[in-house]
Amino acid sequence: MAQTIEALERRIDELRVAVREAVLPGDKALASARRAELKRAEQAWEDALAATAPRQVLAQQAQGSLLPLREQVYEALSLLQVPAAPKLIATVHEAFFGSTFPTTRVTSLKRDEERSFRSAPFARPYYICAALSADYLSPSRGLLAVSTWPMEKRVIGSLSPRVDFLTAAIRVADAIERIPTPPATARQLLQRFAGNIPGAAPVPGMLASAGPDQVRPDVVRQAAQAELAVHSDADTRLRKEAAARARKQLGDAEQFFGAKDGFQPVKYDETGSAAS
Amino acid sequence: MNQPPETTARLDRLRGRAMPVNHNARTISALAANPGCPRRALLDAAGVNKQRIAAHIGYPAPFGQSRFAITRGNAFEARLTDNGAAELLTLLRDILELDMTEVGYTDFHAVAGNTSRELRHAATRNALTGQDYGPRTLFDHPMLRLRVGGRHAYLEPDLIALRLDGSFHVIEIKSFPVIDGQADPAKVAAAAIQSAVYVHALRDLIAEAGGDPSQVSHETILIAPKDFASHPVAASLDVRKQLGVLNRQLTRMTRIDDLLAQYPESLTFDLDPDADGTPRRDPGDLAQAIALVTANYSPECLATCELCFACRDEAHGSTGALGKSVREDLGGIEYTAQALSLARGQLPPADRAEIAVQLLRAAQIREQLLGEVS
Amino acid sequence: MLTALARAAAATGGRALPIKTVRHVHLAARPLVLVAAQLAGEACAPLAVLVGEDRDKPRLLVVHEPRDRTQRFEFAADLAAIVLPAIERYCGDDHGGDDVGDVGGSADRSQPYPDAPQLLVPNQPTASFLRLLGRSTRFRGTEGEHAVHPSVPLLGRWLTYFSERGEVSPSSQLLPMTSVLADHWATGQSATEDANLSTLLAWISPPDGMTGRDAARAAEDPVRCPPAGPVTDPTFDNEVLEPILRAAHEAALTGDTARRRRALADLERALRGQLEPTWALMWQAVDLLNGLSPAAHVEQRWLSDRRSFTNQAAWIRDGGAPQARRDSAVAAARRLARLEREQQRLAVERAYDDPLVMAEYRMTGEAFAGDVVESDPARVDTTGKRPVLRPQITVATTDEVLFEPGAVLKSPLRPAQQATVKDVVLTGRGTTQVVLELKGGMGRSLTPPPGSVPAVGDNVTYTSLKDDYQPAPKFPEIQDTPWTHGGPPPQDVPTDEDAREDWS
Repeated sequence: MAQTIEALERRIDELRVAVREAVLPGDKALASARRAELKRAEQAWEDALAATAPRQVLAQQAQGSLLPLREQVYEALSLLQVPAAPKLIATVHEAFFGSTFPTTRVTSLKRDEERSFRSAPFARPYYICAALSADYLSPSRGLLAVSTWPMEKRVIGSLSPRVDFLTAAIRVADAIERIPTPPATARQLLQRFAGNIPGAAPVPGMLASAGPDQVRPDVVRQAAQAELAVHSDADTRLRKEAAARARKQLGDAEQFFGAKDGFQPVKYDETGSAAS
Repeated sequence: MNQPPETTARLDRLRGRAMPVNHNARTISALAANPGCPRRALLDAAGVNKQRIAAHIGYPAPFGQSRFAITRGNAFEARLTDNGAAELLTLLRDILELDMTEVGYTDFHAVAGNTSRELRHAATRNALTGQDYGPRTLFDHPMLRLRVGGRHAYLEPDLIALRLDGSFHVIEIKSFPVIDGQADPAKVAAAAIQSAVYVHALRDLIAEAGGDPSQVSHETILIAPKDFASHPVAASLDVRKQLGVLNRQLTRMTRIDDLLAQYPESLTFDLDPDADGTPRRDPGDLAQAIALVTANYSPECLATCELCFACRDEAHGSTGALGKSVREDLGGIEYTAQALSLARGQLPPADRAEIAVQLLRAAQIREQLLGEVS
Repeated sequence: MLTALARAAAATGGRALPIKTVRHVHLAARPLVLVAAQLAGEACAPLAVLVGEDRDKPRLLVVHEPRDRTQRFEFAADLAAIVLPAIERYCGDDHGGDDVGDVGGSADRSQPYPDAPQLLVPNQPTASFLRLLGRSTRFRGTEGEHAVHPSVPLLGRWLTYFSERGEVSPSSQLLPMTSVLADHWATGQSATEDANLSTLLAWISPPDGMTGRDAARAAEDPVRCPPAGPVTDPTFDNEVLEPILRAAHEAALTGDTARRRRALADLERALRGQLEPTWALMWQAVDLLNGLSPAAHVEQRWLSDRRSFTNQAAWIRDGGAPQARRDSAVAAARRLARLEREQQRLAVERAYDDPLVMAEYRMTGEAFAGDVVESDPARVDTTGKRPVLRPQITVATTDEVLFEPGAVLKSPLRPAQQATVKDVVLTGRGTTQVVLELKGGMGRSLTPPPGSVPAVGDNVTYTSLKDDYQPAPKFPEIQDTPWTHGGPPPQDVPTDEDAREDWS
């Protein structure tokens, strides 16, 4: 008994009003129930419309890379050589490997990788894993790393986010120089880096009006290295100490995916070294 | 400012079994702005969920938030704090003249994956009061605490910057735009008050740890999108005035005991929810309990308090419900019925003689010109 | 106090009461009505607009992906295609065809166009939305990487023009209906609540059998009565808009064009449903205002609007630059001073045009009204070098008279005439008698033309309220801006930078 399209639309409108009226006073249970009904009505509407429309051959949307997500993430991280957030990973992949992916898929990847490791440790040549906070050796929010990297690279001290940003800039600059005609997305990425490193912009303060073409990889590299020199000693020290602690205190899975329950806060003395 | 346990117990009883609603800087600044409403003062002190009780007595308030706004706000904030807060650092290196070495970044959204407020507050306290060294400049979503009306309110500023010289700056990220150098003044004012709440709370924390609260600068940083895109721009706000006002209002609010004393011990706003969370409390009964506590309704409540519709209905017949300026124009007469009787020539009380004459005149003129009788 | 009393009476009586006897704004024969919805969280992201001059034929424009900036400018071009012809129709000479007399094309316009367009929006936030839309479009470049259709910056300049007129109190070119209605009627709710067009109209004309208060309560339900915009109701955003946009987006990603078409049709239907009720309210407001006769000075103020419109059209035609982003110090000071003067003049005109407005001044002692009890129209003053005509009248009033002898007053009915208070006498019965000596507005002879002097039995009003018509204060030329105010400002010319405004 197919209802007319108009009747279905009226029903949908009524249900939308009903859902909103349940939401207003905060009646979550009622709102949920009505949302379910609304979804059913919307599906019926879609089906009714689809039935009247000529059969559509769905265009095969080019999904880009045929590689599984984990390998695409691996490609991007291997270029960067530093732990990175899903957004940067996706942008790097788009710039240098021709395709991108929604960041939501990347965030669930870490969870899948951990499950895979725990069920069959070291079965795969590499795992997309977490970066660990130096303080508590817990997984650092939002960052991904590669399991084959040394522990020192996979721990994050307070200076590490900036250090890794500068390192990433250098790596992106290097990558661009290797390509004869870098795509616009790559140049735009370099421009984003350059805008946040002193001395990396072509003319100081004029970045807003400079097109991506005017950003030079060698200038960016030089500027990044200059600032890196300020932080790297302290950062390296912190990371070395944290890595040693991680190797000592954590099991294999936790070294890759972070300590989960409880924590032992690190006490630093005045010199900035950890008192064990 | 320690609250006696009897007060805490009474406030808990007022609230009933529900979890106390958490304050945030916005609610504190709104609360501090209208301390003249005993009903609101009591409900907020007890941490009652005003939205739920308003809905239960038949007056749901339309105080929702669009997910588009939330998403956009989150995206703008993420853009600033991603990648070692690269974009934020660029702005702060300019406006605060940060040294090249001041790049430390620590995230306080969780402590070892644990998002408990107490834990985050402890970690924040350690980090900010130097008991946990490490090169630190930026603290992302630290957890502060403020005693408000006898309870702890946990407050979460967007960021705090700690300078090499030991000074602190509160940083707030907002998503309302700055167009041609100008932003909506009401929104900037609200941001300034919220920042002042954070400054106040941070000063308390520093003082409690034995430090110098003046190390927390009254200069706070506001970051907002420029023009029509998401390119961020930073501005500095001087919140000394707001701090002064806030201080006075918070002090006034600590006298919750005086307020409590006016009401029976048995008074409660408990909704008595069943296993599914459905309230079992009789709505009429709840309404009566609420009505017991005096309110001070004004149209401003419509923008700030979830009980506004209920109090508005209650205030029907008062001139204040029509607006402060209307009451003033009516010479301070409190009830519309009163004003109308005086306008019809009813004998006024001695202290209202002058107003009565004017009201009578006004009514006569309107009748003359419109032919209507009030 | 009169308005406050009216509010109290309305609250008790259950219906809004008039606080003006005439309409103080111009109402076009064919106003351009516009209702808008915007996406929450962004500075200026249009969602949809219902626009038109014919209440039965609104044009709906919907942005399919409101977060996509390219689509935003396509929307602006679509809006321009509707709005620009509606504006240009008033620039009669620009459409070839019959060039009648001195309505020349490129000739200097010393005569303003016979009429000008009027834009009506539901409320102040919609006016602000148009201002932002104008700002976001008027500097766009029509060439290069981020090129837009040439109608877009032109629309931007016109929207900015209308916004600026909207800030000038005497202007009627851009009217938010909430402000206009609240100016003419007193409801039984607060001014804050009056900013809601649905509740405001509910008080002014509640449905049969309902009190204003009950009707307003019902109108406050954002689910049954969509807000007038441009901000949409959050439950609409979360429960209706977001799922539809998501469905459309997913369909685009998977290449399912049929599904995308359905989602977009659903989107249009949903947004139309949010805008149409306000559209209907707008025309209800127009009808209500048309039910009032226009105040005497409305035509004159509309002439100013027409002049302004004519100048703007000429400026654009002659290739003038778009409005600057910020006023220079001198321009800002000038604008402020002008706005103040105009506001003062407007206040006087409103009082002269409307006895209800004048009544407020009667309450404060700045005016009095009463009947003429004695009149000596032929009285001549011989004390000076030459004899001059100085009629004298006595007015009996029940208003409180605070004027002293020597005060110079005016009457709205005879604005060219001056009345000097000669004597003020309180009679025992609560009335006051005021003796006035009249000067001017009677011609040059010693015999006053009939009607130029009030006769016994006439009801007259005299007030100290006058428009002094002071000349504008002297400001330096822009290029002579003193250094204390930043020196001469750089010329705000749109650059490539504007055309390339960051789009991330």
